[in-house]
Amino acid sequence: MKPFEERFTAWVDDQLTGPDLAAFEKELASHPEAAAERAEARKLGDLLREPPAPPLANADFFNHQLMQRIAAETPRPAEPAKARGWFWSLPRLALAGAACLLVAGGLFKTLIPSPAQAGEKSKYYAQVVEAWPGDETIWATTVYNPEDNVTVVWLDGLDYIPATYALR
Amino acid sequence: MRLAALLLVFSLAVLAFAADTPTAITTSNTSAVPVLRTAPAAVDKIWSAVVLATNPAVPKDPPGELREFAPRLKRVFGYSQFDLVGSAAEKIDDRTESWLVPSQSFWLTVKARRAVSKEARGGYLLNLELFQDKRPLLETEAKLAPGSPLFIRGPQYGNGQLIIVLQVQR
Repeated sequence: MKPFEERFTAWVDDQLTGPDLAAFEKELASHPEAAAERAEARKLGDLLREPPAPPLANADFFNHQLMQRIAAETPRPAEPAKARGWFWSLPRLALAGAACLLVAGGLFKTLIPSPAQAGEKSKYYAQVVEAWPGDETIWATTVYNPEDNVTVVWLDGLDYIPATYALR
Repeated sequence: MRLAALLLVFSLAVLAFAADTPTAITTSNTSAVPVLRTAPAAVDKIWSAVVLATNPAVPKDPPGELREFAPRLKRVFGYSQFDLVGSAAEKIDDRTESWLVPSQSFWLTVKARRAVSKEARGGYLLNLELFQDKRPLLETEAKLAPGSPLFIRGPQYGNGQLIIVLQVQR
């Protein structure tokens, strides 16, 4: 025996006849809503079987609205993640390294005196930053002679040393 | 911004590495003057001499050690003859105090640190104390570089003048 839904569909479509129809209508006695459902289904069938609907007056607008709605309701595919690490591409690393070397070289050249420079005969002259005499009887004066590039600390007030004193 | 910070850090690292050999930047504990620590291979010396300057009728040529200084000594002090009473040289060690004893009567204590400024051309910042026997004559802080001597006019001796000469030798 066919299932109830199948027989119900056949009944709605007037496909049941003879003893099958009688038996099914007896069975429908326990389903009072069946008649209403049959009427709804037939009404829908009649509508579908009617001639095609008249053309829309504003079809473009309708289509546009429809497409917009579809687009709004369709979940967007996730954007591809930005390529990570673009900043540290090989050329950029090479540039950064070159820049570092330049900066380091500049700092080294500026701040660290090279041995060659240190060995040169320079115009640099001795400078006396501070001079403190050993006691109050001594005066210290600093003189710089630019022609000879020499600095002299001139001490006055020292005791005379007789020539008889043996210097060694 | 991140790149600039990285550049700075890297540059400082390279600079520190470069500065570590053969010289390294450091700062004196006792003063704010930045100095360079000498590399072990450095053989700079501080040379000192006690010179007797006189004006004899027939001046003699200066000894070899003074030949470099004689023309300048003549012009600065006005004497014609220069005799070397004694000389002494010590390797410059920035960690210890050196004693220079060019003569039995005149001697010096020296503490040296390499001057970091480019103008100093590898010179030194020296703390010097000059003694005549046990009497302190002078305490001074001076910057010396090779080729730039420091003369100290000492006491009169007989008809002459005693001069102490200091120079950094490389």
